[in-house]
Formats: sequence, C-alpha cells, structure tokens
Amino acid sequence: MSDLSFKPISLDTDTEERSRPSLSYWQDAWIRLRANKRAFTSLFVIIGMLVFACAGPLVWRIDPDAQDLDQTSKPPWGDRNALVQTYEPWEGVVSEEPQGDNLAPQSLELVGDATTTNVRLVWGPVPNSKGYRIFRQIIEPRPGDPLGLPIGETKGSTSVSFEDRLDIKPKSYWYSVVAINEEGEDFSEAATVKVDVAFSTTAANAVERGYIKDQNSVSVGDTIRVPLHPLGTDYLGRDMLARLMEGARISLFIGIVAPFLFVIAGVIYGSIAGFLGRNIDHILMRFADFVIALPFLLFMILFKLLFGIGPGESGILPMLVALVLLSWPGAARLVRGEILQIREEGYVEASRLLGTKTPRLILRHMIPNTMGVVLVTFTFAVPSAIFTEAFLSFIGMGVTAPTASWGSMCNDGIKTMESTPHELIFPALFISVTVLAFNFLGDGLRDALDARMRYGE
Amino acid sequence: MTDTTQGAAEPVSVSSAWQLAKYGLVGLLFFVLLLAMLGWVTSYSAAGTRSTQAVDYATNTITLALSTEPPQLDSTRATDMVSGMLLGHTMEGLLRYGPDNELVPGMAESWDMDENGGTFHLRNDAYWSNGTPVTAHDFVFAWQTALNPDTASQYAFILFPIKNATGINEGEIEPGELGAKAVDDHTLEIELEQPTAYFLKLLAFPTYYPINEEFYRSTDGGYGAEAHTLIYNGPFKITKWVHDASLRLEKNELYWNRDQTRLDAIDYAYILSDANATLNLFATNKIVYAGLNSENLDRALRNRWHIKQHNDGSVFFLEINHRPDRITSNYNLRRALQLVHNPSELVYKVLKLPGNLPGESIFPVWLNGVEGRFRDEYPGPKYIINEEKAREHLAMAIEELGVDELPPLVLLSGDNPVSNKQSEYYQRLWKEKLGIEVKIDKQIFKLRLEKMTTGEFDIVAAGWGPDYHDVMTFGDLFASWNLNNRGRYANAEVDRHVAIAQSSSDPVERMEAMDRVQQLLHDDVAILVQYERGSVYVSDDRVKGVTRRAVGLDPDYTRAYIASDSED
Repeated sequence: MSDLSFKPISLDTDTEERSRPSLSYWQDAWIRLRANKRAFTSLFVIIGMLVFACAGPLVWRIDPDAQDLDQTSKPPWGDRNALVQTYEPWEGVVSEEPQGDNLAPQSLELVGDATTTNVRLVWGPVPNSKGYRIFRQIIEPRPGDPLGLPIGETKGSTSVSFEDRLDIKPKSYWYSVVAINEEGEDFSEAATVKVDVAFSTTAANAVERGYIKDQNSVSVGDTIRVPLHPLGTDYLGRDMLARLMEGARISLFIGIVAPFLFVIAGVIYGSIAGFLGRNIDHILMRFADFVIALPFLLFMILFKLLFGIGPGESGILPMLVALVLLSWPGAARLVRGEILQIREEGYVEASRLLGTKTPRLILRHMIPNTMGVVLVTFTFAVPSAIFTEAFLSFIGMGVTAPTASWGSMCNDGIKTMESTPHELIFPALFISVTVLAFNFLGDGLRDALDARMRYGE
Repeated sequence: MTDTTQGAAEPVSVSSAWQLAKYGLVGLLFFVLLLAMLGWVTSYSAAGTRSTQAVDYATNTITLALSTEPPQLDSTRATDMVSGMLLGHTMEGLLRYGPDNELVPGMAESWDMDENGGTFHLRNDAYWSNGTPVTAHDFVFAWQTALNPDTASQYAFILFPIKNATGINEGEIEPGELGAKAVDDHTLEIELEQPTAYFLKLLAFPTYYPINEEFYRSTDGGYGAEAHTLIYNGPFKITKWVHDASLRLEKNELYWNRDQTRLDAIDYAYILSDANATLNLFATNKIVYAGLNSENLDRALRNRWHIKQHNDGSVFFLEINHRPDRITSNYNLRRALQLVHNPSELVYKVLKLPGNLPGESIFPVWLNGVEGRFRDEYPGPKYIINEEKAREHLAMAIEELGVDELPPLVLLSGDNPVSNKQSEYYQRLWKEKLGIEVKIDKQIFKLRLEKMTTGEFDIVAAGWGPDYHDVMTFGDLFASWNLNNRGRYANAEVDRHVAIAQSSSDPVERMEAMDRVQQLLHDDVAILVQYERGSVYVSDDRVKGVTRRAVGLDPDYTRAYIASDSED
C-alpha cells in the first residue's frame, strides 16, 4: 500500500442534511398548539374574554348598576322607541246610576294612550252590582275560561274606571271587567277588550337616564330612541351586557389570579420536596395530604370572619386567600413527581458530575423541564376556580349587591327562567364557554408540551 | 401524567371514532335506564305514603303543601303564620271567627261583658281529643303559662288587658293573682286591668287558647313537639307529623261542632318552600293550593288557571333604628330618606305582584274606624317626593353629625328573592338620589330577628300582620314599651295617644288618637311604610267553602268541602 492509497479528505461540514430548521422546545410546542384547531380557537376565545372584561367597559359605557325601572326584564334587542308621556294622577270616572238589566259592563274602552306607564279603562255601569273586578290576561281568553290575573277591584256600581300601573310590558293584553254581586261573587258575563301597549317614558325620567339632554327638547307624544340593550336588561332594568362585563372581571380575576398564585406555591413546595427527597419529602408530602383534606367552604367562612368582612361586604378577598391556601397541594404533588423523575435523568447526573451547584441544577435543569406539567395544571385549575367563584356567588357568599358576577347573575336569573330566560342564559353561557375554552386549551397544551410526543418520532 | 398523554397522541382514526360513538351510545342507554329506574323507585315509594291526588273523593281528603315546618305548636309560644294556621284548625278559644269574619261562640256558649270584665259560660259538650272535658281551668292554666316569665312567650303582651297580667309577666306578681278565675268547671270570670274596647276580639287569638294542665304536665316539657304530645279541642286533630316532610289533619270526632266539619282529612303531604316546586305540584294535580309570585305568574296565565287574589292584611315598612348611637337617629337624615321614598314605584315596578297596595300609613286600608273604614275617615299624611328638599335635609344631617361623608347605612333584610330585589332597589335609589352608600345585610328570618332585637341595623325591612280586628293591633306597634318596636322609637306623645286609644271606649276618641299616631309617625319619620301585602294564588275549584281573611285563621278549611262530581 502506497501513500497514494490515502487521500486527505476535504473538510466537509455538510455531512448531514437538515430536514427542518432547528427548533427550541417552546417553538415546537407552539407549532403543535397551532396545529390543534380546538385548542387554538380556545386560546382566542380566552383572549377575547379578557379583552371583553378589561376593554369592554371602555367601549360600552353603561353603568352596570344603573336601574331603569321602565325597562325591566327587557329581552335582547328590545324595542327602542319610547313614547314621551307625563304621569298625572287620575281621579277616575264616576258614572250615573245604572239603568237597564245588562249583566256585563257595556262599552269597555281605553282612556288616552295605553302605555307602559299606565292603562286607563272606563266602562258602562251594571245595575245591582256592588263593584267591579278587573282582570288582565296575556293570551286571548276563550269563552268560559278564567279571565286571567285579578288586577284590581272597584267599589260601588258607579265607580266605572280603573287605572292599571302594575308592571306593564309593551305587548298585547286582554282586559276584562266583571261586575260583583252582593255576595262578592262575579257576575256570569264579562266585557273584554284587547289593548296594545306602547313603550313609554316620562320626560323627566328620560333626562335623568340620559336618553335626552334637555327636557324642553321633547314634548308629550313625541317618540324618542332609548339606548340599545343588546343582551336585554335584568329584573331591575340593569343592562345585561354591562353587568356581564363587570361579572367577567370578577370571574376572570379569581379564575386567573388564584390558580397563578397557588401553582407558583405548589411548584416551589413540590420541587423542594422532590429534590431533597427521603424523610423531608415524606414529611412535606404528608402535610400536603393534610391540607387537601381541609374543607374549603369552612375555611372560606373562617377567613371571612378573620378578615372582619362584615355583612354586605364583598367576599372576594377571603375567597382568593382560601383558594390559594387550600389548592396548592395538587400542583405540589405533580411537580414533586416530575422532579423525582428528572433527578435521576442522565443529563442531571452529567451536569452534577461537571460540578454544577444545586440552585443552578434546580433552576436550569429541573424546573424548566416541569414547565409543561405546571402550565397544564394551571390551565386546568382556571376553570375550577371560575366554577368555585360562580358557585360561591350563586349561594350568596361571594360578591354582594350591587356588584355582579356570573354566578350571582345566574342565581338572579334562575328565578325568572321561564318568563325571561335571557337573564339566566347569558351568564350561564359565559361561564360555560370560558370554562370549556380553558379545558380545551389545557388539553391542547398537554399534548403540545409533552416532549415525548413529537410528531414523527 | 405520561400515561394519559400516550393514548391521546394517536391521531383520531375512523375506527376510534366508531368506538367513541359506540361508547357514547352505551353510556346514553345506561343513563336512560338509570333515569327510568330512579323514576320507578320514586313512584313506588311515593305511592305507599302519599295520596296521589289533590282531591280524593273516596276518602274525602284534600292534599296541600306547607311552606315550612311549623316551628312551634305550643299555643303559648307560637308566633308565626304556619303554626297559627295549624293551631286554628286544631284548637279553639272562647270565641272564633265565622265565615263572614264575625265573632261566633267557640268554647264559650255565652258571655256577659262590661267595661271591667265579664263572665264566660263554657259549653258542656266541649271535650279534648283524649275525652276529658274542656274546663275553665284549662284557660286559666294556659294564660298563666303564657305569662310566666320562664315561658318567655313573645306574645305575652296580648294577654296584658287582663288584670295583673303585666305584673305576672314581669315576675312581680304571683300567677295565682291573674284576673281570670275559674268559678266552676264551666264558668270563667275575667277581670280587666282597664276598660279595653277590643277585648272580645282578642279571645280568638292562639295565645288565648286553652291547654289541659294534666296533659301538659304529662308531656315533660315536650308539649307541642310531636303529634302525640298535643291534645286538641278544635275541628281537626293532627294524626301524623313527620318532621320536615309531612303532616296530616283528621276530623276530630269529639269536637262539639263536628257536624260543621265536612272534610275527613287534610293531608299536608309536602313541606317545601320553593314556589316553583309547589306550583309544579299544583300543575300535576297533587295539591289544591299554590301561591304565585311575580316570576311564575305568566306560567299560570298561559295555562289559563283560575287565579284568585287575597289581601292578607299585613303592612310592610322600613323600620328605622332610633337608638342614639346610630346615625339614623338624626331627624334630617330620616327626613331626606322620606323625601325620596316612593311606595308606588316599589309596588308597581319592583315587586310587580298584584294585590300589593302602595303603603301610606301604618294602618292598612281595611281596618274599621268609627263607622266605615278608618282610612276613609282619617286618610292620614301622604309621601311627597321632593329630591331637592331631600338633599337640603341631607346636607343638614351631615353638618349635625359632624362628618365629611356619611358612613354606609346597614340595610338588614331577609334572604329571599323578594327581599333581595327590594334591597337592591333601595340601595340604588339612595345612592343615586342622595349619594348614600348602603350595605345589604342578608339574614335568614331567625338571625334577622335576633339582629333586630339587639339593634344591629340602621334600617330593616319588616312587616306586621294583624292579630285581632282593631286598629290597636297596629296602633301600639311603635309605643316605646312595645318589644316589637325594634327600632326603639320613643315618643311620649305617641305613647300618650296609644294609652288613650287603649283605655277609652268612645270610638271617636279612640280613632282620633290613632289618627294622631299615624300623623306623628309620619312627621317624625319613625318608619317608611312600603306596602300592604296582597297575594295571588291558584286553587282547585273542586274545593269549596274555604274562607280567606286578613285577621285570624287563614286560609280556613274548617268549613271546606269537596264539591261532588255533578257540581263540578
């Protein structure tokens, strides 16, 4: 073999061809998260919720506590045209002594406009009656059926008028009048009239609510536009959208701050326990088990007492404290398990042999490798914290009136579920969507952050 | 952690989707099966214990629901409406209310009354449900027990017109000195402390019911706690009482007027407070009566049910704390609140329930005056809204109190939907019109009562139902010595007029004194009257002869009967 048999090779760095660019752990996770449509949409929903809660009130400048008693329980996108009216007390009408032998009141008719402020009725007298009973129905009464809601009574056969002011909504009503006999029983025949009620407001109220600037700019009988309530109003005429925004701030504050704090606490606690191991680990983890066994509701009440939170004051702070102090063991357990595993990994061993100090070992090699688990724990803790807040506000231990939270709004709305479902549906929908979004995102993150699950491996 | 992620990593294939669908289907089937089984179990267990129909022709029984467990069936201590209603069906005093709200003889067959007292002749055919006769001693014993300071009866005051009653209740006079004596078994002599024009009307009230001493002692302090630790002298007797679940009344065959009782039994098969659940029971023909509220009213209307209205006679008001350490003891602050007080807005726009009348005076409109209605004869002052003047008074109040800004007012209220709505309305009203912050202190009834007694409130939403048919049942409410005056309102002038109305037997003088009282309460802003309560309800039209009244037993089923099929 001669020297010619050997040839120096050229320096060639291009021995292997890169099939794809080098990616860091987070870049890779981000790509995989983006590929997961469900999780990615959820991320946008959550960002949307945060914007809704924080920036919403800047755009939608309606006081969430302002009550408009002329527009209670208004459905979404309700009629915005209001008739301007003045309310003058009505003396009523007294007829002459009745003649004839009719059983039903004759010529039942409306006086003036039928508006949400008042509906005034007048009718012809019935002989031998002791008075009249007035009924109101929301569907057309069929012959022989009950006449509806007994809305009032008048005394004496000559008092033949009635003014209805009770919670009149802008829709159709059927008013019936029946004469009453000596025994207080109804006569067999009734007079019924259908009344279409227009939405109205008084000029003074319109100024006070800010619908118009100047009372003199409108006159009685004009129609003005009242502000839009896109999601309707609640039982005291408060704007649902503004209240949902206020509620979102409370719910998301508790939902994000509490898990953030207790997950950090759990990471610190868990990594110390996992790294030190042996007896210390044993003691620390038994203490964590003990904390898990503590009843949350009881502690919530205790903290409320401890902080001197009196009746009628918000229970948000004790709720936060109770959540943080009682919820960290879950995160601590997970992180400890991870640390125990990572401690035995080859790269940790290598790093230690190269002389890395303990703090650097934990901060550089261990905690970053638990981040995936921590992040997933965090996203799964958020919905449960939101639920806790909603539940506590639902049972009246969270926010207090007039502050709204999604839970307390559900509590208010559930009572009128059958007649005005929008008061329950919207806050319930917001809770569900937020909780679902955080769950989907957590699911997606779990898949994306697990290094062992890279595509193509 | 790693275990769970491994499975999820697999891309979703067609076969796994199939599997998912299969599992889903199995799960759904299982769920449906579970529901069916649950339904079967509940119907099976219910059939054994409850009559399934609202009206049972075969057993001549009607079924009802109670809104709450009766808290106290010892007539000396009962204070609430449910207990009073049950006691009214099962017990009888010297007198009782008839179908037209007139006083009719009860245990007493006849009586002679004058200014200073009277003699009551008890009927010979009156028996307790255990067979012992009802005697005059039973009345004396019951009244002495109620007045005994150890009993701590909240209604002891209603016995105070009897001679020495006040002293006995304060522990200063021996119970034996009470101005009620059993001359013999069937003659009861009553001496009055001072002339009391309305004394006869008191005799139908539960605190005046008799108690058999021998039986009372045999129960060892458990009197009224169970169905078998009570004996009855009224139209019905309690035959079964499962606490917090059900209660059953059956006809008392030993009642002297047993022919009048036409029902064989009233079955309170349900004890539940939820209004919607109660209405569901009515809708499914399980009970004959259900109250309506503003939330489920529309449902009743859409179902075309026969809705009836009843005024229960009570007046609701915001009671103001007048204790000197409270800022509400300042007149100008109270006046400012009064000048924005709008009862009609509350009734028509917030409470939204028909029958409620906007309140103006502590005396409700149905009370009788000299000849006609009291309020027709003495209309009393009206609330006039004036925001500008209210703010002036508020400024004066702030100056007098020496503060820069008023501390938040504590509004003590009940913990139920109606109270919540009301409290939130006032919170906003006072904030918007006067800039006063309000803290709402929601408490359940018992705790609210406790806080009202100790004075831990600035303003409390309270109500008062009439005990007897006379203006005095409301008139003495804000006398300084009345324990039900929770705001400790004290006004010598009011006390003086109450005393006049109590002791005078001249109707005009009495009513004029009461008119002064309503004027004084208004001028001094002792309270802010909110509304007179009315209610709407649905009831089964097959049940007839039910009496509704504002004062006394309500609803009264003692004369009720089931209309036969042909009448139906």
